[in-house]
Amino acid sequence: MTDLTDKNKRATFVPGQPDMWAFVLFETLVFTAYFGFYLFYRAKSPELFLHGQAQLDLRIGVFNTLVLLLSSWSVARCVQSARVGAFRAALRDVYITAACAAIFLFFKVFEWARLVRNGNGIDSSDFFTYYFFLTGIHFVHLLIGFVVLGVVVYQLRSAARRSQELVETCATYWHTVDFLWVLIFALLYVVR
Amino acid sequence: MPLKFNKRLLVVWVVLASFTLAYLWIDHSVDGSLRPNAVVTSSVIVIALIKVRIIFREFMEVRQAPALLCRLTDAWVVLIGVGLFSCYIVGLTLG
Amino acid sequence: MSTVVTPPESGSNAEATPPSGPTHRRIAWHLRHGPKRELWLAWSTLVVFYNLFFPMVFVVAQVQPPPAPAWDLATQVHYFHERHLGIPIGLGFIFAITGMTAVNNALIAYSMRRMSISRAFGYSYLLIYSLSALPGLLLLCIALIVATLRPERDPKVLGWLYDFAFLSFDGTMGVFLIGSLIWMVAILIDKNRVFPKWFGYLNLCNALTEVVVAPCWIFGRGVLAWNGQIAWWLDMVVFGVYQVTFIVMLFQMIRREDFGTGPMPDLPRKRATAS
Repeated sequence: MTDLTDKNKRATFVPGQPDMWAFVLFETLVFTAYFGFYLFYRAKSPELFLHGQAQLDLRIGVFNTLVLLLSSWSVARCVQSARVGAFRAALRDVYITAACAAIFLFFKVFEWARLVRNGNGIDSSDFFTYYFFLTGIHFVHLLIGFVVLGVVVYQLRSAARRSQELVETCATYWHTVDFLWVLIFALLYVVR
Repeated sequence: MPLKFNKRLLVVWVVLASFTLAYLWIDHSVDGSLRPNAVVTSSVIVIALIKVRIIFREFMEVRQAPALLCRLTDAWVVLIGVGLFSCYIVGLTLG
Repeated sequence: MSTVVTPPESGSNAEATPPSGPTHRRIAWHLRHGPKRELWLAWSTLVVFYNLFFPMVFVVAQVQPPPAPAWDLATQVHYFHERHLGIPIGLGFIFAITGMTAVNNALIAYSMRRMSISRAFGYSYLLIYSLSALPGLLLLCIALIVATLRPERDPKVLGWLYDFAFLSFDGTMGVFLIGSLIWMVAILIDKNRVFPKWFGYLNLCNALTEVVVAPCWIFGRGVLAWNGQIAWWLDMVVFGVYQVTFIVMLFQMIRREDFGTGPMPDLPRKRATAS
């Protein structure tokens, strides 16, 4: 009897607030529109875009992607730890997430600075307009992500709070920052 | 219990990381030529969409979500794919 | 209309229920005694404003969708010449009704007062949005009308007015951004459930479009220029969704309002009818 109800209970739960999922899906559509414009104009003038893309360092892009994927891993672990009541482990995981995010931030700014120093600014070519625009708006989402991680820390630190729903909601936002980067990285750095 | 889940999450990360590293290999195989390549572009986009779906299902726990959310996120992956490919193809035709 | 029966101690007078009877009597009652009449008046003002704003700006004055930043001076002079009647009439009208935006802002600030949060939210929102009307609307109206009033002016001056108008309209989104964020934070930390959380997140989406428009100061062409496909067209889609949504959300809020200080009640579910 308990097995059956257990299976049914485990079968379905919405991770975090459904409201956050609505935001995630909507924001993904908006980003898809940005990507659509990028791909359209890229396909129309490939040489210009290829020339710009050649100035990028793929290795930094790969490294940043791995780091951000790691941050998703740690925040997912945080959710699971919190769910079983291992709050100290969950806190540690959220700090790892923030550390990964900081590393990403650092390398992104470093990359931008290097590009600008070499004369590739946001208005130097259409490719770089899209590059700085997409990575820039993603960066803004990342900064908001720090606030969101702050909410998780705030929730986990005191026994009076610790809303699992809120932790899951924040994690959902964080994963969005991650998968948007996955798409941005593929489109800016790797696509030919 | 947490250990079992953590192993799964780690495996997921390794899979995603491998896909990411595969990009390095793809890039290496077309290295040097500054020419547009629709095959590379298409496969890169498809791999990215696979990664996004894995993130949805494993990291964002959609696997254990109600059917509606599963279907919505899958539909979204398809939607992103359709959006990207149609813009790319229209751009290619008009270019 | 809602026939909310307010409890006797809630501040309104004894005749809290509208009389039954002919429609005109009920309407008269609502206009004179309805506890929510100011709210409905504010909401109607909001709807009337937008119903006037869009035709005036898009059809009469024809200044939106915006023209290209990179046009040469001769084309810009021609632009004003074409609109020598439309701009003064359309934008002059808008200038005259700009006061209605104060009522809009008041209704939104009211929603924040109903929340379980500090009053500072409502008041800072009012402050910021009141200030934002200057660069966000009035300067556009003034600059464009001035440009059409003397067609024989030096084209360079007209070109300056052209840039000034559209940059002040599209490039000062920072103020609206902050206002949106204030409302968003208010909604998210509110415990009175005045608005659902997803509406708070939608405010974030709207705020982010304002970030996207910011680079229009740099670009004279392309997708991020003030008339660009991303900075204007795509942003207008998101903005349109946001506008319609917040008008509906305010409508729902007024219907649900119980003038208390605790969580707002939900609307009574419609009885299940055969469908």
